[in-house]
Amino acid sequence: MLFSLDPRISRLELPDSALPPPDKAALDQFPTYEVFHQRKENTAYVYVGPVHAPEADVAFLFGKEQFSRRFPCTGMWVVLTSAIKVTEYGDDQQSVYDRLPLLPADEIGTADASGLESYDIFHLKKRGKAHAHVGQVSAASPEAALQAAKASFGDQRPVVNVWVVRSADLLRSDDDDRDMWTTTPDKKYREAISYKVQDRIDRFKQEG
Amino acid sequence: MNPKLDLLYRLADDQLILGHRNSEWNGLGPILEEDIAFSSMAQDKLGHSLQLYMLLHELGEAEPDTVAFTRNTPQFHCCQLTELPIGEYDFSLMRHFLFDHAELLRFEALADSSYEPLALVARKVKGELKYHVLHANTWVKRLGTATEEAIERMQAALEFTLPYALGIFETTEAEPEIISSGLFIGEVELQRRWEASISKVLAQTSLVLPDLRLLTPVTGGRHGQHTEHLQPLLDEMAEVFRLDPTADW
Amino acid sequence: MYGSASTHDIPNQATTGLENEDPILLAEFEAHIARGEKIEPTDWMPQLYRKQLTRMIEQHAHSEIIGSLPEGTWITRAPGFRRKMAQMAKVQDEVGHAQLLYSAAETLGKTREQMLSDLINGKSKYSNVFNYPTPTWADSNVISWLIDAGAIVNQMANAKGSYGPYCRALDRICAEEAFHLKYGHDAVVHLATGTPIQRRMMQEALNRWWPAIMTFFGPSDKMSTHTEILMRWKVKMATNDACRQQFLDMYVPKIWEIGLTLPDANLHKNEDGVWEFSEPDWEDFKRVINGDGPCNAERIAVRRAAEENGAWVRRAMQQPQARYVRPLA
Repeated sequence: MLFSLDPRISRLELPDSALPPPDKAALDQFPTYEVFHQRKENTAYVYVGPVHAPEADVAFLFGKEQFSRRFPCTGMWVVLTSAIKVTEYGDDQQSVYDRLPLLPADEIGTADASGLESYDIFHLKKRGKAHAHVGQVSAASPEAALQAAKASFGDQRPVVNVWVVRSADLLRSDDDDRDMWTTTPDKKYREAISYKVQDRIDRFKQEG
Repeated sequence: MNPKLDLLYRLADDQLILGHRNSEWNGLGPILEEDIAFSSMAQDKLGHSLQLYMLLHELGEAEPDTVAFTRNTPQFHCCQLTELPIGEYDFSLMRHFLFDHAELLRFEALADSSYEPLALVARKVKGELKYHVLHANTWVKRLGTATEEAIERMQAALEFTLPYALGIFETTEAEPEIISSGLFIGEVELQRRWEASISKVLAQTSLVLPDLRLLTPVTGGRHGQHTEHLQPLLDEMAEVFRLDPTADW
Repeated sequence: MYGSASTHDIPNQATTGLENEDPILLAEFEAHIARGEKIEPTDWMPQLYRKQLTRMIEQHAHSEIIGSLPEGTWITRAPGFRRKMAQMAKVQDEVGHAQLLYSAAETLGKTREQMLSDLINGKSKYSNVFNYPTPTWADSNVISWLIDAGAIVNQMANAKGSYGPYCRALDRICAEEAFHLKYGHDAVVHLATGTPIQRRMMQEALNRWWPAIMTFFGPSDKMSTHTEILMRWKVKMATNDACRQQFLDMYVPKIWEIGLTLPDANLHKNEDGVWEFSEPDWEDFKRVINGDGPCNAERIAVRRAAEENGAWVRRAMQQPQARYVRPLA
């Protein structure tokens, strides 16, 4: 049995030697969800990164602690990665909307509002930065939503990359849930600013 | 014991010991993201206990570090549920579920306590506890409706843990005064709310809640009687601190 | 936290494989980097770039998750509330950093399943310093301060690299590491300026860790065609020696000012402002990184146990309709 300097590990009573483990099966770590957070009221939701999770509600639990435990937050959205439609990436000075092929009018969708759904649109303004929410459009398909986004937000520049998400696919925190984040700023023990040790060093040097 | 001290020690010791236990999972959890979430909740528990020990300090008790790191088993008032080793994840999740439902309801009630400093703390941590319960519910619902293996494990964990969970509501001699002075609604009422609350979640799973009236609660913790697991925990927790309790670490 | 595994960083094969790449795409790729633009996951990239970055980010991720263990050794024993909560938060951050980095590596095409399998099968490297034990609380503090300080030197450099997802992860990591560094320094200062028992504990821990710290950035780089290309592509951002010098410059004075000594009589800054020191034992470094260190077996065994003990949980949570696509960014 493995004896460790870590009492937690010793309690695991691990065998001394074991055969090498088989490789993990596909999806052992689940699919991924992309997470967006809002740092302040009335500001855009911004992409923070993915979490591995079996379902959206678990992804929310995971996203909350992975991406908002250390910074102020007022809301969070999660969406299954495969539910996001992604354009190609342009250069930093361009707009990828300029490269969109024009869809025939019948594919953009008819005036008949019954087939329309809401889509959320996210822009990347600069390579290496994070996608931010710019607004919603109504459309009959993700492709049509992209065209509609071009009409609504195409004048913004630069736009390096666009994500299109069917609004119904986004799991959003409730306004009532904001209190889950109220004490984040109180957790000073995990902030650099609460460790002030210069006085102690100065005192030591004087006494030394 | 003074009813305020009596109540505060029970609450603070519960959170310290369970927060300590749950921190043992840090780095060893079933998936990275869950590892992170579980650690946050353990930190929250430590944070809550610290706030409560500070209230005790204002009432004339020793500094929080001294209280937490120098007492021995008979002086602790946590329920025995909190001190049990972490076991496997089924047990740790079930303990988290049963404990945090009680904790959320307890703090919701304490928000109206006649003891204003405590009410203030209770109102402040409500949002954190809401996340803890959301986390626990999500896991219990998922695992409690998942594979046969998971349902069996969670059912076994539920049956093992329940008698200890009933020990959360063990009362002390101060109970009548705690209630009459408006400090807290009392353990009987809390238990009633807790049963309703956990039943509602368990009803959405394949897990079966045993008839609680047929179970014998594991009590003693509130009176300083503990399992054989608490003293080693305390010795471990204080191993460095006790090298020199007067030193500044 | 991350130190260069270095001897394994740069592939030794004779060719770079560039002759097989499409010259037009390659020129476009290099033009992005020359303009200071980041490369994003769906952009075309040379095989060497993808391979090298995957290896580097994966090793970094492994270093975080394994790096949580030596400090985790003291998580249940941290003295006092302040230290106890901070130690928990710090170990948690290391796990969080691993999560961020595995995700960044995944965007390049390697799944997290494969990376974790390679780790627990001993096929992957991680920062060698985590193969050493933390026998006292002070050892944990040395890691919190000085290993993290070294990691920050590395990570600040890499955050200016060319791969978008890695940079995004590193920006977040660096922001979080600021706490680690201050916390570690605070803890070390408290011991170094404390009671005789505390001071002795700290000096002994520093003596134990200094040789490993001096190997943290890896041996001097051998400048090869590969190294030059990887620097041009902003994969490798600074030489091992440059990182080591920067680290010594920033931290040796801070170590000395609190009355601690370093176990290297040759350590000094020469007239040219360059730190001189006794050459670390690179043979020992190689021996340990190849598996024969004091804690290699334990680190892997523990990581493996965590994976295996959690397997039933993950199995139960699987959704039959799930399918995997790479994370987007």
